[in-house]
Amino acid sequence: MKQTPVTAIKTRGGSFVELELAGKEIARVSRPGQFVMIGAGQSYDPFLKRPLGILSVQEDRFSLLFQIVGQGTKLLSQLQPGNTVSVLGPLGNGFSLHPSEAVLIAGGRGIVPLVFLASHFQQAGIPFTFFWGVKNELELVLASYLASFSPSCVLSCEEAVSGYGCGTVLTSFSSWEKTHPLRSGSRVYACGPQGMFRVMQKIPFFSGVPVEVSLEARMGCGFGVCLGCAVKKKEGSGYVHVCKDGPVFLLPEVEL
Amino acid sequence: MNLETRLGPLVLQNPVILASGTCGYGREMVPFLDLDRVGAITLKGLSVMPWEGNPPPRIHETAAGVMNSIGLENKGFHRFVQDDLSWLETVHTRVIANVWGRTEEEYIGIARLMDRLERIDAVEVNVSCPNVEKGGESFATNCRVLHQLIGAIRRVVQKTLLVKIGPTVAELEKTLKFMEREGVDGLSVTNTFPALAVDSERQCLVFERKVAGLSGPAIKPLALKLVYDVRHLTHLPIIGMGGIMKTEDALEFLLIGASAIAVGTANLVDPAVALEIVPGIESYLVAHGMNRLDDLIGKVR
Ligand SMILES: Cc1cc2nc3c(=O)[nH]c(=O)nc-3n(C[C@H](O)[C@H](O)[C@H](O)COP(=O)(O)OP(=O)(O)OC[C@H]3O[C@@H](n4cnc5c(N)ncnc54)[C@H](O)[C@@H]3O)c2cc1C
Ligand SMILES: Cc1cc2nc3c(=O)[nH]c(=O)nc-3n(C[C@H](O)[C@H](O)[C@H](O)COP(=O)(O)O)c2cc1C
Ligand code: FES
Repeated sequence: MKQTPVTAIKTRGGSFVELELAGKEIARVSRPGQFVMIGAGQSYDPFLKRPLGILSVQEDRFSLLFQIVGQGTKLLSQLQPGNTVSVLGPLGNGFSLHPSEAVLIAGGRGIVPLVFLASHFQQAGIPFTFFWGVKNELELVLASYLASFSPSCVLSCEEAVSGYGCGTVLTSFSSWEKTHPLRSGSRVYACGPQGMFRVMQKIPFFSGVPVEVSLEARMGCGFGVCLGCAVKKKEGSGYVHVCKDGPVFLLPEVEL
Repeated sequence: MNLETRLGPLVLQNPVILASGTCGYGREMVPFLDLDRVGAITLKGLSVMPWEGNPPPRIHETAAGVMNSIGLENKGFHRFVQDDLSWLETVHTRVIANVWGRTEEEYIGIARLMDRLERIDAVEVNVSCPNVEKGGESFATNCRVLHQLIGAIRRVVQKTLLVKIGPTVAELEKTLKFMEREGVDGLSVTNTFPALAVDSERQCLVFERKVAGLSGPAIKPLALKLVYDVRHLTHLPIIGMGGIMKTEDALEFLLIGASAIAVGTANLVDPAVALEIVPGIESYLVAHGMNRLDDLIGKVR
């Protein structure tokens, strides 16, 4: 299988890693919200590739940002420039790109696809506000990814940290929303843990505006053949498949 | 170099097949490989009516393998015809329809529908399905029930008829004898191996259905043994599969007598791998002074 060279790797705090890979084609065609499947092991351990969202693209390279949570991400964190990995992608549907105004809501590592989306909005001159919340101070190392959007960002941390709103990303969004009516044609974009989406499904505000959420699921293939990434549909029976029908869905579409 | 191989009346341009459930309905593979160059593709298992499959989690990784509990989710025959059939007409390779049912009647229904489609070259019957009329026991585990099922399907299928068996097939020798008598054209060996995964963190079983099917390199030696045993019990042609990741794995199955091989779980990790195996087999034949695939098949007894 074709191998992709690592061009740079940087650790961000104790548990996050930014990985830059060579890839003209992926850089050229990727849209915000899409992901790649990346092989972590050289042998069969781990056996399956891992899905990771696309953080940014340059001319002939693209970057991923991941949290080390298990064997696969640990091995990926040990790569060196010049090493190669196998990559499939870009995969999945991606976000819609032409709202009149956008609200971005990210929890923790859910920041990844929304950074890519925010840079698209910035280039396209689409106004947006970016809410990002983390559980603890350690995750705040990722705040540097929001530096170029800083006037439009609202940051919060569940631990009390000076300079940050205290509480969840949804508490800071809710207080902002009371004084900031959205214009028609606005959309909300969200990525974060399932618990965040579950709370959003209960907040009346989010049923009055289109909300696009980027889901995570355990994946076998990432391109629609194994049917392993099933998530229950909200209406009617049956499942959607995160890799092929998503990873971006409308909030009311899915049972979380 | 002649890589042609035969499964009863069905001739394949080469012995490398994509296994059911790991290549969708074909179209999903197009970004990764040229389907015209594989020996055949086997469609995801289809039933007459759509079937929603099992609740997640559906996939669990093990050492050198994957456990799946997809539960045969599929869009049903009619949506398959609407969505995929005309596209499949543009593909120049053999298409094998993998079929299943929850009752004998459902099996016969889907087999008959597939048999009428010109684009379908062969019908592969997955017999490792729960039989709702027999309290959910697999069709494969009851020799008498299986015999009757296969006989009934043969009567409605004019095309090449393949039966896909696995480690749970009861009374192997007897089963293979009646498959021969009923006029089955070939056997696909093997389906996944029933296996269990335990989550020690949450102190529960990983899968809601408890048992899931293990596939991938972890099962290759078990699959080889099953193919080997089947080879010695019947003359029916065999599609060997189970953990094939590369050329050498494919050669092992061919050497012990499989007429063709299928790549399954490997497609999930490297969807283009089948097209490395085809020239891999060819180079091996050249290197060993053989000029036909037939010289290789069954060389190891
Ligand atoms: C479309 C998509 C995009 C993603 N983008 C990113 C990203 O940009 N950055 C990032 O850091 N991560 C992202 N993820 C998550 C990432 O894929 C996983 O964290 C990674 O696969 C874990 O691999 P591992 O081998 O390190 O951990 P594993 O050893 O596989 O898992 C570690 C622990 O997490 C559990 N686990 C793993 N996956 C799931 C799941 N889906 N649901 C519940 N539990 C699970 C395991 O059971 C285990 O306890 C994304 C996931 C998807 C589906
Ligand atoms: C995700 C997945 C889905 C599968 N779906 C089917 C199916 O629908 N019908 C069938 O007969 N076999 C199905 N199989 C079994 C494979 O076709 C194959 O027999 C088995 O996985 C062993 O080969 P492998 O180790 O190369 O995967 C499936 C396997 C996997 C991993
Ligand atoms: S991960 Fe295989 S279908 Fe989605």
